[in-house]
Amino acid sequence: MSGQARKICMLGDFGVGKTSLVSRFVSNTFSERYLTTVGVKVDSREVLRDGADPVKLVLWDIAGRSALDALNTSYLRGASGLLLVADGTREATLRAALDLLMQSRALLPKADAILLINKLDLVDRWEVAPATLAELRESLPVYETSARFGDGVERAFADLAGRVAA
Amino acid sequence: MNAREGSFPPEIENLVARLLIERARPLVVCCDRDWRIVDVHGDVEAFGCDGRGEQDCAVEFEELFLGLPLDEPVDLPFVQLKTGRVAHVSLVPGDAGYTIVFLDAQLEHDRQRVQQQLGNEAALAGQQKTRAIQQLREIRGELEQQRTRLQEANALKNALIATLSHDFRTPLTSIFGYLHLLEQHVDRDDDTQLSLRAIRRNATYLLTLSENLLEYGRSESGATLLNPEGIELQALVDDLDAMFRPLASDLGLAFLIELEDRGEQRPILDETRVRQVLVNLLSNAVRYTARGGVVARIAWRGDVLEAEVRDTGIGIPEEFRERIFVPFNRGVRNGSKGAGLGLSIVKRLVEQMRGELTFTSVAGQGTCFRVVLPTLRRENGDADRIADEGAWMHSHSALVVDDDPDVAQLLEMLLVDIGFRVRVVHDADTAITEALANPPDVLLVDVELPRLSGNTVVFRLRAQGYRGRIVTLSATPTAEARAAAIAAGTDHYLTKPLNIEQFVRIMRRAVGG
Repeated sequence: MSGQARKICMLGDFGVGKTSLVSRFVSNTFSERYLTTVGVKVDSREVLRDGADPVKLVLWDIAGRSALDALNTSYLRGASGLLLVADGTREATLRAALDLLMQSRALLPKADAILLINKLDLVDRWEVAPATLAELRESLPVYETSARFGDGVERAFADLAGRVAA
Repeated sequence: MNAREGSFPPEIENLVARLLIERARPLVVCCDRDWRIVDVHGDVEAFGCDGRGEQDCAVEFEELFLGLPLDEPVDLPFVQLKTGRVAHVSLVPGDAGYTIVFLDAQLEHDRQRVQQQLGNEAALAGQQKTRAIQQLREIRGELEQQRTRLQEANALKNALIATLSHDFRTPLTSIFGYLHLLEQHVDRDDDTQLSLRAIRRNATYLLTLSENLLEYGRSESGATLLNPEGIELQALVDDLDAMFRPLASDLGLAFLIELEDRGEQRPILDETRVRQVLVNLLSNAVRYTARGGVVARIAWRGDVLEAEVRDTGIGIPEEFRERIFVPFNRGVRNGSKGAGLGLSIVKRLVEQMRGELTFTSVAGQGTCFRVVLPTLRRENGDADRIADEGAWMHSHSALVVDDDPDVAQLLEMLLVDIGFRVRVVHDADTAITEALANPPDVLLVDVELPRLSGNTVVFRLRAQGYRGRIVTLSATPTAEARAAAIAAGTDHYLTKPLNIEQFVRIMRRAVGG
């Protein structure tokens, strides 16, 4: 299996929707109830790719933290990809996601990373400005997603799958 | 108490081992290097693995340790397994494969989750609260800005009304004067006489309107000082008769105005306001009466003035009675042609004089307004206070420095209205000379003067030891402009368009009023 499987760590502040994104991607479900994650939950799904072998993403849904020093770094070991998640309605979570990216680079210098700005369904309440995302896109793949309705989710995971399988 | 190092007695070690095993319910799974399960020890049921196929378990184990270096021990705390249970998971590499140890962590996980959940929810609620407060601040800021704009617009409106109505007076005075002269020289039967009456009727309406507008603007600015003086009641009645009898006559109405009691020759009242009250009531009565007539009775009884104006006009329907004192309420009465200010001004003036205004009306039959005004001298020394106020009013002087004649005139008018003696100059040099030669109680100076600015005037005066109060006016509402004026030595800085309430307050404060 190891030839087609890649470990992906979901990183981000609490309440940004990491667990919801995994649920939407793996089982196409969504729960309105916020339930905080403690420790880690491991899930997986195979991603089919045009003209290439499928790749299995093993998703480590890690408890939300704004900094790695509060996170058990043993969860990160062996990860090929990082899926950073921020909540568009809380600008501080974008800063947290970028901090986590900087910190995890020290542990995982070769890991591919993408950034998901979640809660697109609440775009009227977004604090993250479009110009900020335009600037971020110059250094990092950025996707606006809605775990509630699924917008952008498949595309984001597929992009990361392509990167980590390459 | 000294603790001894070394192993525990066997029975204690057995006890501890038994307790830990009971709590952790360990499951030990031995796999080969391809993750095939070769041996299992411990509580399979506790982790829900009893019903699962070996293949499923093998896949899960492989996913758990994917990408990790498997030649060294691995510890993963709080791992939620696919069965839903939570365990601390450790991997110990061996020669033939791996030993995976699962220790139950469900209780600890649940306990931590409750705490974490509460903390996170509180933090999210706090962020929402902060955001809501920020939004409220922004809304409040916007409302403040709107309020300021409205105040400025209102001040401008009041200034405009005051200026316009003030400017009406001079030409109207000429019109009435020349009308009087012409009426003396024209035969009563002549058609010209009728034309002159029409002119008088309309000029009277204009005068009433301008007086009302002036009063409206004045009361909006808060400048409402009474002016108690002895009134010649008979003279007042004669004036009113001369003013309204021709109008009533033209409309075919009977008109009577009489003074019932002549006991007190000169009661102390504010003549201007009393006259304005009666003019408005009579004007309305004549205007809204098509048949019959208007009767006004004025009496001085003891220490109150009683006035009654009765007409046989259209009356005020029940549904409009609440609104007749609201300013600009045109259309309340059928056939209304006025600005809708008259009765609101009457009510305000009567209240200013601490009197009472009542009315009775029957739609289609007529209306009767009654006014009772107490003497200004008898109310707890109010007359003295007002007299003192009057003395205060005229004991303070102001020097206005503004090159714009309209603004200068407006300032002069406002200051006169609140009781200042006012001198006006239009340039900086004259202002300095005048202020030093004859220091006013307040110097009101515009910043934007030609050649030398108002700030220069203030600076030069202060530099020469001038110690009087100075109020600076400017069209520049910035903090820098204010700071510059203060640095030059002004005491107060006001911006245009003028907020009249603030202006009156500052000017009074400047002279210690």
